Amino acid sequence: MSMPAALTDQDEVFQAENAAKRKRLSRVFYGVCVSIAMLSIVVLVVLLLSISWQGKTRLSSDLLRNAHSELEIEKAGMSPAIIGSLCICGVCAFAALPLGVGTAIFLEEFQPTSKPLRWLHGFVQLNIANLAGVPSIVYGLLGLSVFVFMFNVFGRIQVNESSGLELTGVTHFYQLLSLESGQTVLVPRTDLQQKTIKLESPTAGFSPSGAPIQIGIWEPGTPKPTDVNVRRRTVRKGALGGAYSKHAWYYFRLPFGQSFLAAGLTLALVILPIIIISSQEALRSVSPSLREASLGLGATRWQTARNVTLPAAMPGIMTGSILAMGRAIGEAAPILVVLGAAVAKNSGPQHLMDSVVTMPVLIFNWAGRQQHEFKELAAAAIIILLIVLLVLNSIAIFIRQKMQQPG
Amino acid sequence: MSIPKALQDRKFRSTSTGRLWEKLLVGLLAGCAVVTILITVGIIAMLVTQSWGFFASDAVTLEGFFWGKEWTALQSKDLDKARFGIGPLVSGTLRVTVIAMMIALPLGLVTAIYLSEFASSRIRNFLKPTLEVIAGIPTVVLGYFAILVISPSLQFLSGGELFDTFNATSAGIAVGILCLPMVCSLSEDAMRAVPRELREGAYGLGCTPFECSVKVVVPAALSGIISAFLLAFSRAVGETMVVALAAGTLPTFSADPTQQAQTMTGFIVEMIKSENEYGTVQYFSLYGVAITLFVITFAMTLAGQLIRRRFKESYA
Amino acid sequence: MKFSNAVTYLSCLAMICACVGCEPTSSTSTTTSQNVQSTLLGEININGSSTVLPISNAIKEMFEKGNPKVDIKVSGDGTGNGFKDFYSKRTDISDASRPIKPGEFEKCKEAGVEFVEIPVAYDGLTIAVHPENDWAEQLTVDQLKKMFVGDGHAKTWKEVDPSWPDEEIKIFAPGTGSGTYDYFREVVTKGEEEELHQNMSLNEDDNVLVQGVSGNKYSIGFFGVAYYEANRDSLRAVQIVNPKDGQAYLPTTENIAANKYAPFSRPLFIYVNTESLNRAEVQAFVNYYLENVSAACEQVGYVRLPAEILDAAQANLENIVTGTHFVDADGNSRSGALADNFVADNLTK
Repeated sequence: MSMPAALTDQDEVFQAENAAKRKRLSRVFYGVCVSIAMLSIVVLVVLLLSISWQGKTRLSSDLLRNAHSELEIEKAGMSPAIIGSLCICGVCAFAALPLGVGTAIFLEEFQPTSKPLRWLHGFVQLNIANLAGVPSIVYGLLGLSVFVFMFNVFGRIQVNESSGLELTGVTHFYQLLSLESGQTVLVPRTDLQQKTIKLESPTAGFSPSGAPIQIGIWEPGTPKPTDVNVRRRTVRKGALGGAYSKHAWYYFRLPFGQSFLAAGLTLALVILPIIIISSQEALRSVSPSLREASLGLGATRWQTARNVTLPAAMPGIMTGSILAMGRAIGEAAPILVVLGAAVAKNSGPQHLMDSVVTMPVLIFNWAGRQQHEFKELAAAAIIILLIVLLVLNSIAIFIRQKMQQPG
Repeated sequence: MSIPKALQDRKFRSTSTGRLWEKLLVGLLAGCAVVTILITVGIIAMLVTQSWGFFASDAVTLEGFFWGKEWTALQSKDLDKARFGIGPLVSGTLRVTVIAMMIALPLGLVTAIYLSEFASSRIRNFLKPTLEVIAGIPTVVLGYFAILVISPSLQFLSGGELFDTFNATSAGIAVGILCLPMVCSLSEDAMRAVPRELREGAYGLGCTPFECSVKVVVPAALSGIISAFLLAFSRAVGETMVVALAAGTLPTFSADPTQQAQTMTGFIVEMIKSENEYGTVQYFSLYGVAITLFVITFAMTLAGQLIRRRFKESYA
Repeated sequence: MKFSNAVTYLSCLAMICACVGCEPTSSTSTTTSQNVQSTLLGEININGSSTVLPISNAIKEMFEKGNPKVDIKVSGDGTGNGFKDFYSKRTDISDASRPIKPGEFEKCKEAGVEFVEIPVAYDGLTIAVHPENDWAEQLTVDQLKKMFVGDGHAKTWKEVDPSWPDEEIKIFAPGTGSGTYDYFREVVTKGEEEELHQNMSLNEDDNVLVQGVSGNKYSIGFFGVAYYEANRDSLRAVQIVNPKDGQAYLPTTENIAANKYAPFSRPLFIYVNTESLNRAEVQAFVNYYLENVSAACEQVGYVRLPAEILDAAQANLENIVTGTHFVDADGNSRSGALADNFVADNLTK
C-alpha cells in the first residue's frame, strides 16, 4: 500500500509553516465566531436602547390609564389595548391548551401498533410541523372565513336589520329620550320585526340601569313635570323609540363577527402547533422507565398518561404554553385581518362579541404615523408590550423551577 | 388465584364502564389530533374556494398570473385596466427574503458553530437567553425598529438619497434579525447531534478547531443545517408586520433593494385594510396571492421537515 | 443603568396592575362635569372617507365624554368603501369627501337605504412635496396632469419643467377607494373618465403618505389639508394656480373659505341612514355632530362651512329630508360650488 504524498514528503519547514498557518486561521475563525456571536447581543441592546430612548418621555400613567385619542395626543394611552390583549390571550389559552396538550398526549402516549396506523401517525406529525410553518396571515384569512363570517351560513350582520343568530345574553329594547336631556328610558321589545315604537300611553319599562319603572307621557301643550326624577321617566306623547339591544357579558351569536372571540380563536389556531410541539417534547423527555413501570403494574395507557407522564411533563408543557401565549400576545397580522385596523376604542371588550384593540395593532397604527408624538407613543407602547412579555416569561421560568423541585 | 387486597378496591378493578370511559377519552384525544388535520384541510379548502373567484375571472389567466410583470389590483378600480401578474409581488418578497437570508444564514450559522463548538457554559448561559429574547420579540416591534433605526441609518450611511423611506433593505435586515435565532438554534441542535467520536477523530488526526468544525461537524450536520435554512426561508417569506411597516406599498418588478417593495404578505394586508368590496376580482386576488404564498411556504417547510427527519434517523 | 432600568420596569409593572384594577372607572373619570351623566345607550357604526375621519374621530371623542355608554366605531376605509358599507347596511353613518355618485345612489335605492345628506366642512386637497424641494413652488393643473395621468406620464421632474432636476418623481397617493383619489382624478383629468397611471404608491392610510413624501426629496403626494396641518414641519404645500384668475394660492383657511384655492377645495359630507335616525343614540350623535362640527373641524385643520349651509343642513335633519342634492333626476352628477347646489330645489329622492 502506498503512503499519501503528504505523509511521505516530510519537509519539516513546510510542515511547521503549514501548521502555523492553520493555527492562525483557526484563531482568526475563533475571533470571527466570538464577534459575530456578540453581534446578536449588540443588536438586542441597540434595539432596546433606541426604543427606550424614543419612548421614555411617554412612559407615564396616562399611557396606562387612557385610551387612544386623536384630539389629545399628549394624553393618549393604551389601557383598552392592554386589557384587550390579555382578554384575547385568555380566549386563546382556553381554546388552544386543551386541544394542543390533548393532541400531544395522543401522539406521544398512544403509539400506533399497526402499519397503516403508523403511517397515519407520521402523517399527523408531519402535518403539525407544516402547520407551524404556515404564515400567520393565512391563519388570519382562515379565521375571517370560519369565525367572522362563518361562510355566511347564519346571514350577515347588518345595522337595523340583522344581528345574525343570537343564542343567548341579549335583551331587546326600544330606547326613548325622556324629557330630561341626555336621559333615556327603555321599553321591552318583543316583536323583532318591528324596529320602532311610537309611545302614546303610559307603559311599564326600564331605566337604563335596568330598574323597572312606569313610563309617563307628557302631552305637548300641558305643563312639563318639574321634578327631575319624574321628568326622567316621562316621554313626549308620540315619541319615537329605536331599537337597542342590551348585551350581557356572555352574549353569544353566530357568526362571531369582528369580535374578540373570533380573534382569540384565530390566534389559538396560530399557536396550536407550537403548543403541540413543545408539549410533545416535554412528554418525550419523561423517562421511559416511569412509563414502563406504570404499564407493568397493569395501568392502562390512559391511566399511565394521566397519573404518571402528564404530571412529570407538566413543567415543560406549562413553559412551552406560556411561551406560546407570548407569541399570541405579540402577533398582529392575523388580528389585522380578522378585526381590521381600527384602534379608536375606549374600553376593553364588554361582551364576547365586542370588538377589541390589541397592543400590537395599536403599535402598528401608531408606528405608521408621521407625528412625532405618535412615534414616541409607539415606542412607549412597545416598552409596555415587552414588559408584559417579560412578566409572562418570568412566570414561565418560575413555574418551571417551582415544579421541578423534588417532592 | 386470589387478588391482592389492595387491588380488590373498586377503583382498581377494570369495569365495563371504566373501559368504556377510557375508550371515550382516547377517542377524545384522537379527536384533538384530527382537529389539526381539519385545520390543514380548512386552510386549503378556504384558499381554493375563495381564490376560485379570482382564477375563474375572465380578467385573469394562469399564464398572466405567473409570468405577468404588472400587479395593479389596488391601483385599478376598473377591471379592464387591472393587471394581475404576481411577478412584482414575488420579486418584492424575494428581495426582502434574500437580504434577510444574507443576514440570518451566515450570522446564524457562525453563532451556532460558536455555541456548539467553542463557547464555555457561562457564555452559553448568557448567549442562548439573548437569542431566545430576540426570537420572542413581536414582529411589529422589529418593523418599528426598521423604520426608526435601520432605514434612517441606511439613508445616513449612503449619503442621503439612495434609499427610499420605505425600502426592501431595511425590511430585509429586520426580517433577518427575526430569522437569526431560528437558524441558530436549529443548526446548533443539528451540530450537537453530531456524535462526539467524529470530533475526537478529527482532533486526533491533528485538525485545528476551525478545520474540525468546518470540515467535519458542519458537513455531518449538513442536512439539519439545510433544513434550518429552508424553515428560516419560509418564515421570512411569510413574515407580515415588518414588511407592512417598512417595505412600502408599490409593487415593482425589479431587483433594486433600495426602492419600495410590496411583498405578497404586504399586499394581503393592504388589500384587507383597503376593504375593496367583497366579491370583486380585485378583492379575490388577495386569495390568489395567499394560495401562492401558502404553496411556497408549505413546500419549503415540508422539504425542511423531510430533510430533518432523514437526518435524525441517521444518528438516532 | 441596569438598576435604574429594573426600577422603571418594576414601577411600570405596578402601574399595569393598578391600571387593570381601576379600568371600569377610567372611562367615567375623564367625563366633563355635567350634573347628571347621560344614560344614552347603544352602538353607532361609521365608515368612509379617511379625510373626514379626523373630524368624526374628534366629535366621537367629545360625544363619548358626555355619553360614555354609547359605543361609536369609526373607520376610514375611503369614501367608496364607506358607501359600499352604507348601502349594504353595515354602517349607520357614512363619511364622504365627495357627494354620493349616481351609481351609489342607485344602490342605496335598491337596498332601501334612505339617507339625509349633511355637509360638514370644507377641505383643501393639499399637494405636498418634501421641504427641501426648492423648485416646485407652484403647479398648474396641467402640470399635475402630466405627472399623474396617462401612460406617457412624466417620469422625472425635468419632463414636467426643463429647469427642474432630472430625478424620478416618486408619487404617494390615497387608495382608489378614497374620495380624495376620486376628487383629484376628476379635477386633474377635467372630468374625463381617465384613471391615474399605476406607477405610484397607493395607501388608504394618509399617515403613510405623509411619511413617504417626507422621506424623499423627489416625492410628491396629495391628501386632505388636515394631514398637512398636522405635519407642517416635515412637508411643504405647493401653491396651486387657480385657472380662473391665474394666481397661485396656498391651501390656507382664508383661501379655501374664499373659494380662491380652486379647483382643489371641496366640501366634506356625512350621510345618515334615516332608519338609524330612529335610534336615540344616533339622533343625539348627529345633532351633536352638527352643533360642534365647526369648532371641531378647525381644531383638526379643516375650514368651517358658512352658517347658512349649516342651518339648511340642520333644517334638513330635523325634518328628515332624504335624498341627495348632487344627483339630478336623470341620474347625472351635479358639479359646482356647494352653496349653489345645496338648495332644496336640487333635492333628488
